[in-house]
Amino acid sequence: MNTFKLALRLLVRDYRSGELSILLIALIIAVTGSSAISLFADRLQRTMDTQAAEFLAADLVVSSSTPLVDGWQEKATLLGLKQAQTVEFTSVLIEHEQLLLAGIKAVSEQYPLRGYLKNSDSDYATEQKRLQGPEPTKCWVEKRVLSALGLKLGDQLTVGEKPLTISHIITYEPDKRGDMYSLSPRVMMNYADLPATQIIQPGSHVHYFFQYAGDPKPLLDFKAWLKPQLNPSQRILDLHEDRPEVGGALTRAERYLGLSSIVVVLIAGVAIAMTTRRYTERHFDAAAILRCLGCTQSKILSLYTIQIVVLGITACTIGCFFGWLAQALLMQVLHSLLPQQLAPPSWLSLSFGFITGMVILIGFALPPILRLQQVSALRVLRRELQPLPASAWFVYGLATSIIGILIWRYTHDLRMTTTIIGSGLGSLMLLMLLVYGLLSYSRRLLPHLNLTWRFGLQNLLQERQASISQILAFSITLMAMVLSLTVKNDLIDNWKQQLPENAPNHFALNIFTEQLPLIQQDIKNLTQNDSQYFPVVSGRLIKINDAPVQQRVSKESEGKEATERDLSLTWSATLPKDNTILGGNWWTKDPKPGLVSVEQKLADNLRIKLDDVLTFSIGSEQFTARVGSLRKVQWETMQPNFYMIFSPGSIENYAHTYMTSFYLSPQQKNFLNSLVKNYPSITVLEVDLILSQFKTILAQLTTAINYLFYLALCAGFTVLFAAVYATLDQRIYRGALMRTLGASSSLLNKTHVLEFCLLGLISGVLAIILAEVVTIVLYHYVLHLTYHPSFWLWLIVPLSAAGVISLTGYWGLRDVVKKAPLQVLQQL
Amino acid sequence: MNCLIETRNLGKTVATSSGALHILTDINLLINAGESLAIIGASGSGKSTLLGLLAGLDAPSAGEVILQGKSLTALDEDGRAKLRNQLIGFVFQSFQLLPGLTALENVMLPLELSGNSQAKMIATEFLERVELKHRLTHTPKQLSGGEQQRVALARAFVTQPRILFADEPTGNLDQKTGAHIIELLFQLNLENQTTLILVTHDPVLAARCQRSITLEAGRLL
Repeated sequence: MNTFKLALRLLVRDYRSGELSILLIALIIAVTGSSAISLFADRLQRTMDTQAAEFLAADLVVSSSTPLVDGWQEKATLLGLKQAQTVEFTSVLIEHEQLLLAGIKAVSEQYPLRGYLKNSDSDYATEQKRLQGPEPTKCWVEKRVLSALGLKLGDQLTVGEKPLTISHIITYEPDKRGDMYSLSPRVMMNYADLPATQIIQPGSHVHYFFQYAGDPKPLLDFKAWLKPQLNPSQRILDLHEDRPEVGGALTRAERYLGLSSIVVVLIAGVAIAMTTRRYTERHFDAAAILRCLGCTQSKILSLYTIQIVVLGITACTIGCFFGWLAQALLMQVLHSLLPQQLAPPSWLSLSFGFITGMVILIGFALPPILRLQQVSALRVLRRELQPLPASAWFVYGLATSIIGILIWRYTHDLRMTTTIIGSGLGSLMLLMLLVYGLLSYSRRLLPHLNLTWRFGLQNLLQERQASISQILAFSITLMAMVLSLTVKNDLIDNWKQQLPENAPNHFALNIFTEQLPLIQQDIKNLTQNDSQYFPVVSGRLIKINDAPVQQRVSKESEGKEATERDLSLTWSATLPKDNTILGGNWWTKDPKPGLVSVEQKLADNLRIKLDDVLTFSIGSEQFTARVGSLRKVQWETMQPNFYMIFSPGSIENYAHTYMTSFYLSPQQKNFLNSLVKNYPSITVLEVDLILSQFKTILAQLTTAINYLFYLALCAGFTVLFAAVYATLDQRIYRGALMRTLGASSSLLNKTHVLEFCLLGLISGVLAIILAEVVTIVLYHYVLHLTYHPSFWLWLIVPLSAAGVISLTGYWGLRDVVKKAPLQVLQQL
Repeated sequence: MNCLIETRNLGKTVATSSGALHILTDINLLINAGESLAIIGASGSGKSTLLGLLAGLDAPSAGEVILQGKSLTALDEDGRAKLRNQLIGFVFQSFQLLPGLTALENVMLPLELSGNSQAKMIATEFLERVELKHRLTHTPKQLSGGEQQRVALARAFVTQPRILFADEPTGNLDQKTGAHIIELLFQLNLENQTTLILVTHDPVLAARCQRSITLEAGRLL
């Protein structure tokens, strides 16, 4: 009979005798957890990508100041991509002797390729989703256009030379960006009507957007083909650059999904390590008999490896099925909160759940299985003979490598992976030494303790190595649970802070100094809030240390755009609220003129360092300033933010206007008309639509992350139970012996509870220290969140760990107390 | 008679915290094929260690064991395992049945290990010979001590080994059951022409063997 068949038979016999149940359950939990999260995360990720694509209204967008280049259309058609075009420009509209600077957007028939538009037929009608823009000769306008120009639906609006009928009020466009063209009141028209407007002449300031959508592979091919051909005025839009507020939130959410997967993998790993260890120990006798019956070491290894692999495949298949069910259920629960068009589950991520399961199984089960081949045949005569434990370096090295590979797979960043692993492992080893010391020291206490305490502590001390392994397992599981809780809370808090209720949703620009007090009063009267007003001087960066700035930028450089247009320069005595100094000093104490604080990303792109001298041109004049500090700016806050902030006294003499941001509720929107009417020079940018769109996506991400956390928590608790159960054999045996010797039920109960309480308490403290270290590293290198120590966790985690672990232990050992000792011993 | 097992100056020493402990010293033995030999002696005299060395379950510290003309010392653990599978059967004081397996499966195991396709049939036949045909599907927990030892006997003889090692086979059984097991053991031994080497405290059992050797403090008397 070949080894495979024999291994299968042994496996079936083991299964029938109940030997495999705990291992099988742990494995199924592990695979269910990792495949559910992998499937859920993948679906959410792809849904988010699609949604993200909606923010661009396509999968790939090229912005250009020139019309479509020959050959692009043919190439895209050849690759099977869908295409659309939009053209944006500003134009002054005149109706009923009223003037309005409007942002005109001409869209082709196919627009939008991703996402949808929304419009309504009247002021009071509900919005309708539309998959196409206006028909030829028609236009859709924002409601404000109607009130500003004294028009109503059905009226004619003349754009350039072309009269268009206003058919709808536009309420939503997916790719509305935060620039002048997009934020002036919108008029959307059909692309076919564009020539008739006669607005676009050579030299006109126009933005063309060429949009493409299709399968990832042809898109990538097209992108690769396109990139070398782009001229300096053409650029591929990127969500992270062009919609930083959305891009940032998505990146963090993606990272949380990755983190959740790692957490589940970690928890699963612990479960599998604990249960295979138990499985192995319970098979020492069988291995010894097999050796007696003539099995070679290699045959024993093959027999058990085959069993583990078959067991793994079975458990992974069942786990994948449950995982699939769990994510389907989760999606069902979240249905109303998630985008309507959810990406379907993918076979790839299902297979990933399977592969993850097999990899952790083999990674964590191999060391104990290797011990089985070391079992001496002599054990049949001398039962106390134990095989040598696997080398600690091998066990921990293998486990660390597996976790490392999985983290690397999620983060794609080797440096980050090694940092996380390094910090986690370093602190773990230190803490283990500490526990070892603590346990050794506790031995001295034994003679001074009463019977219950002595037995409880003795149980822990007798097998220090085993106790340390258990503490390690419990604390890693708890650490993983704490980590997902902390990161989840901080991430959600961060989002809430980023966009509080009543976050400013309108910007007012070009406020002249003499208008400032009046406008301040008007806005205050309406909003009851003191908005911050920033002076703005338009200027251009031209030199860095006397060298023209163009020398510092390449075609691909992200800072290129900043050198080609005027920047909004400001001055301030105090550091704006959401800014952080990363290098140098803010001029709080010594506000000398001639200093500038530069936004850090721009400084990186242009290789600007502290104390560099920057030359700016303002109108026909030039002046210089020394870089006094580098600043991190939270662009996603929707507050006025600046690349360059000068020290007071530097640029006040140049002509300047003011800008501010404020919150208007939907009912207060009409205020904008009176504002623009009273102060015709000012420009109002409305970001309320973008904000509400962003808020929706944040709310969806928050819900998804909460559920992911619950999933991780469930897995954690289940594994904690399984892990406690996996350590019971020795305790049951000891308990039964003590019963035989006359120990009372109450003594046994107290001893067990005490022992598990101590285990839980130590593991809890260890877990919280570990979690704090990993959180600090994670926040600093990966999630870019601010770390806040959470003191209540220091209390809650050790106490609840002690509670949960001792209750589980008590439950698992209740038979020892109730049943006759012989019966217990026979069942072992 | 031809010699099946020979030991030459066999010794076993283990290191303890208080120095080297000599469990066996200078054991020289000749055991012929078909012979039955009882190893007797007080607790701690080294009986089980000697049995372990003779069966190739352990490696000696000094001297050698020659089995069928081959030195066991020259073989590695896998080589010895192969030899065990071909030549040797075991019966233990604590039965050593696999707890999750039924009586039939326990007896089938050595046959399955050697790739015998008739395992089930042969195992059933042997269980019939130990009068356990009605207990085929019972697991060790469901069997009495005597029944467990009968399963162990069936398992030991099922491969028709040339040598059978028995370590206190009646040690865990009452007198009546023990006597029944002894009967069976010798009957099967006779039927299979096996060389029997057993370790025992039991003078009745030792007397059934053709020859007895006595160990005292690790030396042959």
